[in-house]
Amino acid sequence: MPEKPETPPRPTDGELEILTVLWSRGPSTVREVHEAITRRKPAQYTTVLKLLQIMADKGLVRRNAEMRAHVYQASRPKEWTQRQLAGDLLQRAFGGSAKSLIVGALAARKTTREELAEVRQLLDEYEKGTK
Amino acid sequence: MNTLAHWVEAPIAKALGWTLIHFVWEGVLIAALLAAVLALRGTASARFRYVLACVAMLAMPAAFGVTLARLWQSPAGVARAPGNARRPGGAVLSLSQAPAVPAQPAMASLAKPGPESPVAWVVPFWMLGVFAFHVRMLGGWVAAQRLRRVGVCRAPDAWQRRFQGLGERLCLTRPVALLESCLGEVPVVIGLLRPVVLVPVGMLAGLPVEQVEWILIHELAHIRRHDYLVNLLQSFIEGLLFYHPSVWWVSEVIRAERENCCDDVVVAVNGDARGYAAALAALEAHRGPVPEPALAATGGSLMRRIRRLLQQPEGPRAEGLRATLAPLFMAGILLVSVVAALSAWQTKPVPASGAARPAAAPATLETPRQAAPQAAQQETEPAAGDAQNSDDQTGDQSSSTATQSGNGTKQAPEKLKLLAQQIAQPRSFQPEIETPYRKWLNEDVAYIITDEERAAFKRLTTDPELERFIEQFWLRRDPTPGTAENEFKEEHYRRIAYANDHFASNDLPGWKTDRGRIYISYGPPDEKDSHPAGGTYQRPTEQGGGTTSVFPFEQWRYRYIKGMGNDVTIEFVDSTMSGEYRMTMDPSDKDALPYVRGAAPAVATTDKLFHVGVSRTTGMATITVPLFAVSGQRPLNIYGTITTLGGRIVTRFEETSYEESGLQDAVFQKSFPLAAGSYSIEVTVSANGVAPMIWNKAFEVK
Repeated sequence: MPEKPETPPRPTDGELEILTVLWSRGPSTVREVHEAITRRKPAQYTTVLKLLQIMADKGLVRRNAEMRAHVYQASRPKEWTQRQLAGDLLQRAFGGSAKSLIVGALAARKTTREELAEVRQLLDEYEKGTK
Repeated sequence: MNTLAHWVEAPIAKALGWTLIHFVWEGVLIAALLAAVLALRGTASARFRYVLACVAMLAMPAAFGVTLARLWQSPAGVARAPGNARRPGGAVLSLSQAPAVPAQPAMASLAKPGPESPVAWVVPFWMLGVFAFHVRMLGGWVAAQRLRRVGVCRAPDAWQRRFQGLGERLCLTRPVALLESCLGEVPVVIGLLRPVVLVPVGMLAGLPVEQVEWILIHELAHIRRHDYLVNLLQSFIEGLLFYHPSVWWVSEVIRAERENCCDDVVVAVNGDARGYAAALAALEAHRGPVPEPALAATGGSLMRRIRRLLQQPEGPRAEGLRATLAPLFMAGILLVSVVAALSAWQTKPVPASGAARPAAAPATLETPRQAAPQAAQQETEPAAGDAQNSDDQTGDQSSSTATQSGNGTKQAPEKLKLLAQQIAQPRSFQPEIETPYRKWLNEDVAYIITDEERAAFKRLTTDPELERFIEQFWLRRDPTPGTAENEFKEEHYRRIAYANDHFASNDLPGWKTDRGRIYISYGPPDEKDSHPAGGTYQRPTEQGGGTTSVFPFEQWRYRYIKGMGNDVTIEFVDSTMSGEYRMTMDPSDKDALPYVRGAAPAVATTDKLFHVGVSRTTGMATITVPLFAVSGQRPLNIYGTITTLGGRIVTRFEETSYEESGLQDAVFQKSFPLAAGSYSIEVTVSANGVAPMIWNKAFEVK
């Protein structure tokens, strides 16, 4: 194999979907990826296979050489890709607005390490109190 | 500018201008009432507080609309309004909460009453603001819609079923999809008519099952309560009355109480407030560290929620007749007071403050009996201050309760430490399971264990637990429970032994090969067509016919495979001649001819339209790809590689073609200078919405 590009290019939407499956399921065969994708929308097996091969060439996924053939895994952690996609114009312009439109269990703002430590302490103290 | 000036003189503009200014005190009044009621009934349920805040939020545009309607219908009102504006103007200054800009024209208009008052000039600025806020909201909506389409995959079936079960427990009528997203960082609900729950990739496997369930219940509660819709409306009102801080404050109250309401639903279902609080903390920890500490300067909402959750089981809540009547009573007072204040203020300025007083009465202030215009302003001001104080008091109370509970008996610190560690660390950092069990998981049952079982197994830590799991694992699959034999288990180990005996290659044990995997997963094939020597092979007509020379290969036919359908044929090719047959989906993979010097190219091509021409003089190879044969939307993406016989990639290219789809003779051509030798080329042309076309061909440069 020729050397991989240093930094893989930004994944396209289709590639991102496959990456999501790989992050979710861990290293997977083409069949497993294909199965996961067809749960949501119809897709050809060969499409997935070809996409995975192209992604391997681009350096977005790795073919696992130690295990059986056809087992792929994402070459980068999802945080890396998230940072790549943060440059997306739509996200940059309206990401904040989108966050206030969707509802979820946690606030859009992250909690600091200190606050988290405080929360944990509170939980522990509560546990002690009830014992 | 002239048209603008002309437009500004229209009666509607003037009415709007005055409405905007009057809303300054109306908004303050509504927010103050809300603050007062919330402060008085500090122990009220989250639902009550939420409904009350929603009523206040709706009262805002209602007050605005009523004011506008009255001012517009009676042009005299517009002319007379400056006289009445003394009070709102004063309120603005004394409360110093609202922006000073609208106040200035109001004050100016006092000095210069008349039809061409400059108040209307506020309107264009307001409209600009409304436009900007709503464009931003629309953009956010588009971004949110994109979030549910891009970078998502359906959660594994086991979770999907569990999720449906939870939905039924919450009496949800609509089906909700559970998707995993690689872009989201926290679980969210998106969508109005077909809502989906997006969870970040890794959360389902990374947190304990019950914790994930509780968080999913929280999200489902959002759906059942139509929070997405309420939030949209709320954002719309925010954009409409963006200039008033009271609107944003009330909105913030709604957002906070909404989460509290959903927290309550979870606790009502699972009954374990402490566990749920820990789940929230774990989820937050799972999210990773904060990159920018500056953002996190304000007080944490998570902390407040967890405090509240932990206090709930202790603090006895006075839920009685009074509590159930109170919401109606308060909401009624709120509405009546707003409407009364509006109408009274419009017709007779003097009794207006009298009408407003009952509304402020819950604040238990000594109201001055004089019906002076300033009275209302004095009332609202201390009311707001009082609300602030009581807010602080409740905060103090909660912290004191927390410390009290902390001063309890100090026991079992070991267990707590462990618990804290569990919360602190994502699951992936846990030590790996001991070797024999890991071997069992990764070798013995690697192909038959479900994702759910694998996740459950990985969470177990002690040997007896693991032993029990393995026992249960086989018991669940026993076709004849109750007998001593487990036919399934025996057959499974027989298959592994068979695979190891028959399919082992130079560097892989039999069970790890493709054939082994298929054999272990699906059993012996119903038919087996074996060509261990390769050689001449009569190609089926559907693959082009003719005779070709092939690598050793095997075809296994299964009459039925669950999940794959009837009559499944799987082909294994030993293209490296090492004894390791690899599963292939392309019947041409077994073709050996592309790799044989001089035997190319007639048989290697899969499509006559795809052409590689080699110039004898220059040695340039020119490929011609028939783009007209590719259906689907343009543009097309053309990706190709040229490899040597040894598999080394000589060159690769990726191009985009913007040819119209209707063109009959659209082709893609590209030339490569190549050294003499044999090559094979593969070109993939992909289009949106259809399967890509793949051509491959072997050729030779002399």
